[in-house]
Amino acid sequence: MADVKAISLYIRPEFENPAVEKAVVGDIERRLSVWERVSNMDPVRKFTVLVVLVVAWELYTRLGSINELMFPTFSKTFAALIDALVNAGLLINIWNSLSLLVTGYVIGISIAAVLVVLGVWTRFGSDLLTTLTAMLNPLPAIALLPLAMIWFGLGNQAVIFTLLHSIIWPVALNTHAGFQSVSETMRMVGRNYGLKGLPYICKILIPAAFPSILTGLRIGWAFAWRTLIAAELVFGGQVMDTSGQLGAEGGSAGGLGWIIFQNQMENQTPYVFAGLFTVIIVGIVIENGLFRNVEDRTIRKWGMQQS
Amino acid sequence: MSDKAIGTYVRPEFEVDTLKEATNVDVERQLSLVERISNINAVRKMSILLGLVILWQGYTMIAQPEPLLFPSFVSSAEVLWETIVSGEMFQKVWVSLYVLLLGYAAGLAMAALFLVLAVSTRIGSDFLSTMTAMFQPLPAISLLPLAMLWFGLGIPSLVFVTIHSVLWAVALSTHVGFMGVSETLRMVGRNYGLRNIPYILKILVPAAFPAILIGLKIGWAFAWRTLIGAELVFGAAAGKGGLGWMIFEKGDNLDTPYVFAALFMVILVGLIVENVIFRNIELNTISKWGMQR
Repeated sequence: MADVKAISLYIRPEFENPAVEKAVVGDIERRLSVWERVSNMDPVRKFTVLVVLVVAWELYTRLGSINELMFPTFSKTFAALIDALVNAGLLINIWNSLSLLVTGYVIGISIAAVLVVLGVWTRFGSDLLTTLTAMLNPLPAIALLPLAMIWFGLGNQAVIFTLLHSIIWPVALNTHAGFQSVSETMRMVGRNYGLKGLPYICKILIPAAFPSILTGLRIGWAFAWRTLIAAELVFGGQVMDTSGQLGAEGGSAGGLGWIIFQNQMENQTPYVFAGLFTVIIVGIVIENGLFRNVEDRTIRKWGMQQS
Repeated sequence: MSDKAIGTYVRPEFEVDTLKEATNVDVERQLSLVERISNINAVRKMSILLGLVILWQGYTMIAQPEPLLFPSFVSSAEVLWETIVSGEMFQKVWVSLYVLLLGYAAGLAMAALFLVLAVSTRIGSDFLSTMTAMFQPLPAISLLPLAMLWFGLGIPSLVFVTIHSVLWAVALSTHVGFMGVSETLRMVGRNYGLRNIPYILKILVPAAFPAILIGLKIGWAFAWRTLIGAELVFGAAAGKGGLGWMIFEKGDNLDTPYVFAALFMVILVGLIVENVIFRNIELNTISKWGMQR
C-alpha cells in the first residue's frame, strides 16, 4: 500500500428556489378545425395523393411537349380505357386471362393437395415433397415456357403448364411447412378423437395451419398472375416471329398481356397504359377483395391474426 | 313435481385374477444398419434425387422419345458440363446476374428513399402506401413493352423492370414492419434523443428486420422471375444474352439439351441465393438476435 488518498466528500451547496411560476397549460381539449378533421381522414388524404399524381401527369405531358407516342396524357389514356371497355372488348380479354388463370389455379392446387397429403402420410412422401419443392421452387415458371411450347405447341396448354408450375410449389411448400409446425397438443387432441387420414387433415391440420396455407395461396396467385402476363407477352413475340403479322390466332392471343404487347407494337401507347390500368385493377380486386375477404372470414375471425 | 326415487348404482364387487407378467418387447436395442442409414435425412433425399435421375434416364432409354423433344439425362448433363468448361455458361449467368444486381441495388436505394420520407412525414407515408397499393399488384413484366418504348432494347429496359419488381415489394414489407415496431422501442429511441436517419437505422431497422428480410426475399424472387421473363420477351424481339435468352434461343433452335442445362443453372443460382446468401443473413441477424427460432 503506497499512498492513501484522502477522499473529500462533495457537499452540495444549499440553495432555495424562487417561487415557481404557474405552469401555462395550452389546449387541454378543443374541437379540431374542419380542415384538421378532414385531413385526418385516411381515404381523403390518399385520394388527394392520387389526384395530385394525376394532375402532375397531365401537366407534365401537356406542358413538357412530350412525344405522345412515348407518354400520352392522362385524359387520352382514360379515353382509351373507356373506348377499349366499350368498343374493343377489353372485358373479353380480361375474361380470357382470368379463365386461364383460374383453370391453372384449380388444377395446381389439386396437385399440390395430393402431394401434401402424401407428405403427411408417409415419410417417403414427405422426403419427395421437400426435395421437389427445394429444387423447383427457385425455378421461375416462365423459364419453362420454351419447353412447354416445344411439347404442347403455341396454345393454352403451354400456358397452363407453366401456370401449374408457378402455383404448385409455393402452395405445397407453405402448406407442408404449416402442417409441420402444428403444435403437438392439437395433433394429440385430434388423435384422441380417433381422427385419422383425411378427416385428421381436414379437421386438425388445415385449420391449425391456415395462416401459412393462405400465405401460400397468395404467393401462388402473385406468381401465377405475373407468369401469365409474361407468357402472353412472350407469345406475342413468338407469334410475330413466325407468322410476321399481328393479331394471330395462336391460342392465348386475346389475354391482357397480349393486348399490351399488341398495342405497343402498333404504337398505340394510350391503349398500352389502359391495359396496364386494367391489370392493376384486376390485381387490386383479387388481392384486396378476394383474399382480404377470405382472411377476414377465417384467420381473423378465428383470432389467429391480429389487426 | 313427480317423486322419482333415485336408486344409487352399486358396483358389483369383483376380484382380478393374478395379472400375468407383462412381456416387454425391445425396450432398448441397437438399430440395424439399414435403419440407421435410412434415418439420415441427407441420404434419403439424395436417393430420391438419384431415383428421379434414373427414372428420367430409364424413360428416355426405354420409351425412346424424340430427343429433340425430351433429351436423356446423360446428354443434358454432358451439355451442362461442356458449357461450364468452355465458360459459356458462366458468361451467361454473369450477364443475367449483373443486370439483376444493378436493378436490385437501384430498387433498394429508391425504396430506402421512399421509406425515409414515409417515416418522417405523414404525407410521405400516405404517398408510399398509395403507390405501393397501386404498383404492388402490377406485374413488373407488363411494363416491359413501355420500357422498350422509352429506353429501347437493351440493359436499361431490363434494369427498369427489375427495379420495379424489387422496389414495391421491399417498400411495402418494410413499411408494414416499421409501423409494427412497438411503442416501447420507439420511446427508448426518442429517450436517447435519436431522430431521423439515426432513429431509423438504430431503432426501426433492427426492430423491423424480420419483415425487411421477408421483403428482400420476395423482392429477389420477383426480380429473378421478372428478369428471366424479360429476357425471354427480348429474345423474341432482339437479343442480348443472359440465361433467359439462352433458354429461349436454344428452345427456338430445338437444342433441347441446352434448354435443360440452362434450366438446371437457373435452379442452381436460385438455390445458392436462397439457401446460402439469405440463409446466412438470417442466421447472422434475426436468428442470432433471437427474433426467430
